[in-house]
Amino acid sequence: MIYIRYMLAELRRRKGRTMLTALGLGLGVALVIVVSALSNGLDRAQQQVLAPLTGVGTDMSVTRPIFVGTSSSNGFQGLTDKERRELEKENGGQRVGFGNLQPGQKFTRSSFRSTQVSFPASEVRRIASLDGVATASGGLTLALTTVSGTVPKVSHAQGGFGQGFRGQGGNGGGGFNGPRSIDFSSLTLTGVDQKTPTVAAITSGQLTSGTWFADNDLKQVIVNQSYARSNQLKVGALMKIGGAVYSVIGIVKTPVGGTASDAYIKLAQLQKLSDRAGRVNTVYVRADSASKVDAVAASITKTLPGASVTTAKTLASQVTGSLEDAKNLTSKLGIVLELVALIGAVAIASLLTLSSVTKRVRELGTLKAIGWPQRLVVRQVTGESLLQGLLGGVVGIVLGIVAAVAVGAFAPTLSATFTSAAQSGFGFGGPPGGFRGGGNNAAQAATSEAVKLTAHVSIGVVVAAVALALLGGLISGAVGGFRASRLRPADALRHLD
Amino acid sequence: MSDCIYDLRGVGRSYDNVHALRDVDLRIDRGELLAIVGPSGSGKTTLLQLLGGLDRPTRGSIVFEGRDLATLPQSQLTALRLRTIGFVFQQFNLIPTLTAAENVELALGPAGVRGDVRRARVEELLEAVGLGDRVDHLPSQLSGGEQQRVAIARALANDPDVLLADEPTGNLDSTTGDEILSLLQSLNTEQGRTVIVITHDSSVAARATRTVQLKDGAVVSERLVPVP
Repeated sequence: MIYIRYMLAELRRRKGRTMLTALGLGLGVALVIVVSALSNGLDRAQQQVLAPLTGVGTDMSVTRPIFVGTSSSNGFQGLTDKERRELEKENGGQRVGFGNLQPGQKFTRSSFRSTQVSFPASEVRRIASLDGVATASGGLTLALTTVSGTVPKVSHAQGGFGQGFRGQGGNGGGGFNGPRSIDFSSLTLTGVDQKTPTVAAITSGQLTSGTWFADNDLKQVIVNQSYARSNQLKVGALMKIGGAVYSVIGIVKTPVGGTASDAYIKLAQLQKLSDRAGRVNTVYVRADSASKVDAVAASITKTLPGASVTTAKTLASQVTGSLEDAKNLTSKLGIVLELVALIGAVAIASLLTLSSVTKRVRELGTLKAIGWPQRLVVRQVTGESLLQGLLGGVVGIVLGIVAAVAVGAFAPTLSATFTSAAQSGFGFGGPPGGFRGGGNNAAQAATSEAVKLTAHVSIGVVVAAVALALLGGLISGAVGGFRASRLRPADALRHLD
Repeated sequence: MSDCIYDLRGVGRSYDNVHALRDVDLRIDRGELLAIVGPSGSGKTTLLQLLGGLDRPTRGSIVFEGRDLATLPQSQLTALRLRTIGFVFQQFNLIPTLTAAENVELALGPAGVRGDVRRARVEELLEAVGLGDRVDHLPSQLSGGEQQRVAIARALANDPDVLLADEPTGNLDSTTGDEILSLLQSLNTEQGRTVIVITHDSSVAARATRTVQLKDGAVVSERLVPVP
């Protein structure tokens, strides 16, 4: 085809300009590829961080946070009298009773506190029957505070025994500034429905060693890895919970952002131990499909007033750290860079095309003189630019992939920090004479995970980048073509004067 | 009565108050070899542009084969340039990156000639101007005379009635110029094409059937050269 041969011949003639324009467009394209590849890589890194969350097997978890001191219908106000009495029993006037102890007497007192309003297990069945719900499983997460020791011999002048405690938050332990003979410890404990090993606070897939709960009445406990480490617990060890002895059957590693408790026992056993028969405070829900998560979340909120539904999406929004910083950087600065580079490249290409058209007045005029219609002359100029754009696209792909591979080779490590707010914020207090304490669930649990950054170049990005280069070529060609169309054929001869 | 191909009446062309042509009346017959002579700035090139439909007069009419070029739509002017009028330039105006054959082919492309026919036609045209063995040479590999022959082959590509040549020998030595003139002359005498040549060269004028002299944009004299 004579037109194509002509275009190629012209590009070859202006080798320097052709290469410069292609390089300009190529740099723009390469930047688009690199930024997109980084963005892809960051998405993957984020997924890598969040994958264990979805690995929990729960597409969402439902809780009913307590809103103390509000009069909105989300708080206690929306509850029936029966529910309110139940909650008061669970969280209200309880105290560790020391009243009938004698000085010098040994004692152990356990108390269960909840950070979430509990609800009857029948709600789990209601949620399970909702449209779009595949499985729903109830769970009960409580903070177990154990005070044990010997009643000290104190004088009344010191203000009474009950005012001497000041419990302090801390992972798996409580501080105590009273007499040395009294131990004060706290443990977060979750009751797991052993019949649903894939949808629960922990899943069988998260076990790093040991086995899942047996479906019987044996007193078994699965311990969180970090708790096991700090308390030197191994599979087969024994652990005392609320006065009963449990055997450790498994160690579990909960993911970043997972609502980690120190230990997990069978739901029915915890309900009995904490005097909360038939009560749960978290429902783990798996939707039929990921696309239904939002719809299911909405219908749960409708079914269970005051419920707070946490989905993987909300968890993702709580991830911070250099991973998130990098993501924000690529999404904001990256796009600006891409735009600036592309606009610059297209501007350079347009200017070069324009100047080449000006230099080719005689040639283009000659074409018009020998009978080339306007559109053919414009097509010629635009076609050359398009070919240049194509060349720029190829240059850009090569540069972009090389850069992406280089990023992959250096693979900087990014950290993702997850601040879990789900378990936070409910300190419980009693009237004067009681005590105030907090376990590890009263503090914000921040966990970090390091991920390697890779740049992933997808076919879609490559195609889009070439399309951008072609668009750049088309724009510069249109500019040049417009200029060429304004040329009067008479100039071909005028230039001979 | 001879067959009139061009009839110019009161033709004027001004560029920003400069009158390149004033009130030109000229009649050109089919089959003429017309030489337009005159000093620089006398309006020769302007006249050639008007005859070729590259420009329009600001006054008067140019009737070409019954149609007024002053008012003909652009698309029809383009079609005329493609099929009925051939141009030959002083500096040959070949595309330097294309071979002799491709340069000729450029004029055939828009005419919608099929690929294989096109190639045969190109070879035939180059053969006719004596360049049968130079088809794949680039302009830079050809002498000035050869380049002008390629340009003539290109002008003849679509078998035009009229050949307009702007100083066709201006860039050639006298021997080569003579050869080119002989070629143009043969196109006139043997093929009956109307050939209009702008020239400074008196030897060119000597070969013409008629000479029109321009001065300050107006025709000052016409001389009919008797056919020997």
